[in-house]
Amino acid sequence: MFKPTTILLLLAIHATGTLSAQEKFEKESRIRLEEVPAEALLFVDSLKVERRVKWYREESLVGTSFEAKFKHDRSCYSVEFDTLGRVEDIEVEIAWADVPSEIRDPIALRLAMDCTRHKVVKVQEQYTGTTSSLLHILRADGGEQPLRTNYELIVRCRQERSVDLYEYLFSGEGGLLSRAKIVFRNSSHLEY
Amino acid sequence: MQDAHAQGAYQFGMLPAVNVNGKLNKGWSVNTKIESRQLLQRGDAEGGVSREYAYLLTDLSLIVARKVGLNTRLAGGYLIRFEDGGVVHRFIQQYIQVQQLGGSRLAHRVVCDQTFSSVEEAAFRLRYRITSEIPLDGKVVDPGEFYLKLNNEYLNSLQASEYDLQIRLVPLLGYDLRHSFKIEAGLDYRVDGFLHNSATHELWMTLNVFIEV
Repeated sequence: MFKPTTILLLLAIHATGTLSAQEKFEKESRIRLEEVPAEALLFVDSLKVERRVKWYREESLVGTSFEAKFKHDRSCYSVEFDTLGRVEDIEVEIAWADVPSEIRDPIALRLAMDCTRHKVVKVQEQYTGTTSSLLHILRADGGEQPLRTNYELIVRCRQERSVDLYEYLFSGEGGLLSRAKIVFRNSSHLEY
Repeated sequence: MQDAHAQGAYQFGMLPAVNVNGKLNKGWSVNTKIESRQLLQRGDAEGGVSREYAYLLTDLSLIVARKVGLNTRLAGGYLIRFEDGGVVHRFIQQYIQVQQLGGSRLAHRVVCDQTFSSVEEAAFRLRYRITSEIPLDGKVVDPGEFYLKLNNEYLNSLQASEYDLQIRLVPLLGYDLRHSFKIEAGLDYRVDGFLHNSATHELWMTLNVFIEV
């Protein structure tokens, strides 16, 4: 899943047109536990995740980060760390219907303005804050720590003569933060 | 191809192909392909084996496609085949859908084609192929990474009022040198004639190159 920095980068690419649509701006690869920063490992270990944790290194034009993906309490989590292993954000996949209506309504209004028809394909709640506040989210132990919550949506959007997939980022109040068209990877080798 | 089938119960050879793909305006794209088939060994049902090298044929094709949905494409094109005994003409229409499934991708392809030549009756085929791409490093295939590609195709053919079914299974190991250049190597296994109790097995060593321009 793209992070805010990546979305900004995507927007920059679209705005400047200096890179072709096929150009890859993010490279991720599976890594072994030995390659994960120790602090990041400690963070995930402290969660007592029962399912397997998959670790990735993500390299982009804005730097390198580490990502842990796992299922926890029946939800799909993605936790991003910087190169020193400090947690940066947590994303949790949720159902569109589970987005609070006071946030869902302005988002739906925005989508209706952008698209003649749309379908929300995927929603992720994105938390940023201090390490301890993020830990409370994952432990679900009711900590009242300050957190910033954004909503990242993948939307199938039909416009006049085209249908495309977009990645939207909305604030916790339902305000639009960014919007980027998702460029599909080349699939000629699967078609011919 | 049909002549070769009649001569043996199995064939083994090489099937190298080069694809050049280009993007046009407004969702249009074009694929050109050259593919050559060379026989290294064949055997008949009675146990006779020939290890004599034989060049069989060369295909040249041009397919133009248009994006019609988020991940679907309609395409049509023409293939000309040069083989011993003459030239074969084939008209192709196809529908393609590519799905993203977590880290892997799945492509469905339905093809109709009509084949004409001066030495054989016209042949009409309806084909379905499912292809999966599985990255071997990370969530998606990035430049400098390997991937597995598996094809499974079912070809229904009707020629001179005779129906036949060919099944193909093609496991390939691919390498993405950069997004505009991929290379794949593996085996292309084909079996047909089994509905008529005369199964013919083919095994082709495949080398595919895909170039985006």
